[in-house]
Amino acid sequence: MFFGELLASSLRMAVPILLTALGAVFTERSGVVNIGLEGMMIVGSFWGALGAYYYGPYFGLLLAMAAGMFMALIHAINTVTFRVDQVVSGVAINILAYGSTRFLSLAIFNMATTSPHVSGLPKINIPVLSGIEFLKPLVTDVSPVIILALVLVPISSFVINRTVFGLRLRSVGENPLAADTLGINVFKMKYAGVLLSGILSGLSGAYLALEHTGMYVEGMTQGQGFIALAAMIFGNWEPKGVLWASLLFGFSEALSFRVVEGGVVPYQFVKMIPYVLTLLVLTGVVKKSTGPAASGVPYERGLK
Amino acid sequence: MKKGYYIILLRVLAPVLAIVLSALMSSIVILAIGKSPLQVFYTMFKFSLSRLDSVAIMLYNATPLIFSGLAVSIGFRMGLFNIGVEGQYLIGAFLAALAGFSIKGLPAVIHLPLVILCGALGGMLWSFIPIFLKVKRGVHEVISTIMLNYISYSLIHYLIADVFIDKSQKLIQGLGSILARTPKLSPSAMMPKLHGFLGLFGLQLPRHVYLNWLFPLGILTAALVYYLLMYTPFGFELRAVGQNREAARTAGIEPERVYVIGFLLSGALAGLVGLSDLLSYFGYMDMDFPRNYGFDGIAVALIAQNHPLGIIFSAILFGFLKRGAEGIQTLMGVPREMVSILQALMIMSIVVIAKLMNDYIKRLEKKEEMMVCSSENSSPPA
Repeated sequence: MFFGELLASSLRMAVPILLTALGAVFTERSGVVNIGLEGMMIVGSFWGALGAYYYGPYFGLLLAMAAGMFMALIHAINTVTFRVDQVVSGVAINILAYGSTRFLSLAIFNMATTSPHVSGLPKINIPVLSGIEFLKPLVTDVSPVIILALVLVPISSFVINRTVFGLRLRSVGENPLAADTLGINVFKMKYAGVLLSGILSGLSGAYLALEHTGMYVEGMTQGQGFIALAAMIFGNWEPKGVLWASLLFGFSEALSFRVVEGGVVPYQFVKMIPYVLTLLVLTGVVKKSTGPAASGVPYERGLK
Repeated sequence: MKKGYYIILLRVLAPVLAIVLSALMSSIVILAIGKSPLQVFYTMFKFSLSRLDSVAIMLYNATPLIFSGLAVSIGFRMGLFNIGVEGQYLIGAFLAALAGFSIKGLPAVIHLPLVILCGALGGMLWSFIPIFLKVKRGVHEVISTIMLNYISYSLIHYLIADVFIDKSQKLIQGLGSILARTPKLSPSAMMPKLHGFLGLFGLQLPRHVYLNWLFPLGILTAALVYYLLMYTPFGFELRAVGQNREAARTAGIEPERVYVIGFLLSGALAGLVGLSDLLSYFGYMDMDFPRNYGFDGIAVALIAQNHPLGIIFSAILFGFLKRGAEGIQTLMGVPREMVSILQALMIMSIVVIAKLMNDYIKRLEKKEEMMVCSSENSSPPA
């Protein structure tokens, strides 16, 4: 019973990382580094709660994705059209997200750090499986977003590896000059990759606010946008790898909650676990994995 | 040469343009909440600049930003991104506080420099982890420093609330437990204010202003960093690695060595960021110790285009904005986060404008080269 609940809670914690990391795969495969994922999650959580507060959860999710996409659009204009440093632009996105949500939260809810309570999507009970005692915590009262996130893994994998769009996306990230020579619109593909990452991060933020907590709280993303980047590297830039990496991080967070309840280790150290794990994972894995060749390099026509 | 001046003018113009552009863009946000942008900016100026104590507070606000801007800029100059200034200055401030409250009976002449040194050491210590991981294991410094920021928050919380908590505090009425904060620093560890010095010039600052000697020290540090970058062999190596790592390697410079030394230097400067608040205003460290100076430093460095002397001015600009933000919040009811938005827009504007200008300058130089070539070709053989 304990184990089943631990698994269920791992899955719930893994979903925001998974969604954002899938987004990270799209943007990095197109050759654009996106440090601003954290900020896109923040706007997702705020706009998601805002939309849900006024017009219900479905509208909240849509608004969150639109807000994430808007931030991604800014990032794309900065990095693809103007070719500025991708990390700097990402940092600016994060500051903009932090400042604008606090500003709007004060202006709209009259509170800087939280929103009123909002209700999420109706929960699903998976038939047949919920009859099995061991799996019960895992398959009852499941958020539809969790199922969506899991379904998105094979879909993303298929899109990236088996479709024309995916082939073009990858070619732009590996060798933009060659792609350009073959008549692929490099800039359009990069925009597509970045915007997809914004939509998915926005959704991930909305999941945190609507499905996980039931309200927007400032700082609720807790660096998960950055952890998602680590999950992407650990997952070797592949959706399926990203799934396992996200589950690992989700498991570590779920475990840390249990340890807090136990109370043996000071809880500040328990809070560090996901971040320390991220460092360890990167230290152990980074030399073995290789990302897209042209990732992080702005593409300029007529160079070389 | 005439063209040289033109290029310098363009470089100075870039930050000015960026500031104007971001002010215009943030006007949209102000309009959206139904306030007048002109009035907001006017209030900012009037609130910050019309009184002497307000100007002094502005400079006090700028003090940590000089150090954090310098720390970030050294990273940028060698092509690395130190987002970890945030964590480095918290660890630095904690070590400084530790040296401040645990050592007693030293004269201020020895104690205060020791405390500052401990701050630098703390920052250096925390910057060693990411640069070690980068050089030895290839871990990108951006992700590792961000993770270390989160780790430092928890670590500082633990140290303040569990290990070094001040047990001598009196219980405040109505509060169940004592506050999570360190013991107070010895008076010999505190940084003197600038009031006495400025009094010599007839400038009388009120007691609620905490402008202290770390401000002139910051200016001095900026000058030292400028000298180091421009006039020493190591500064040359650092800039060479930043411009083109592989070319530098071919020229016999070992980039990894430059990375390690440069990053530790950046960390040491980061360790000084929190000292102005710690050694003049707080006198102890608690959970409300100011955050976000590390991220502000990124904006400061970028607006100054990583020029150490320019950083002094851009730090003062951000000190002004912070002071002005208090003004618009209290006088006009505009949330002070307005300034965070402005700051983000400034970062974006400056990088875009600098990029466009660099492209333009490159084209100018190319054109000049071509003109030189063609004039050589067309000149009649003698």
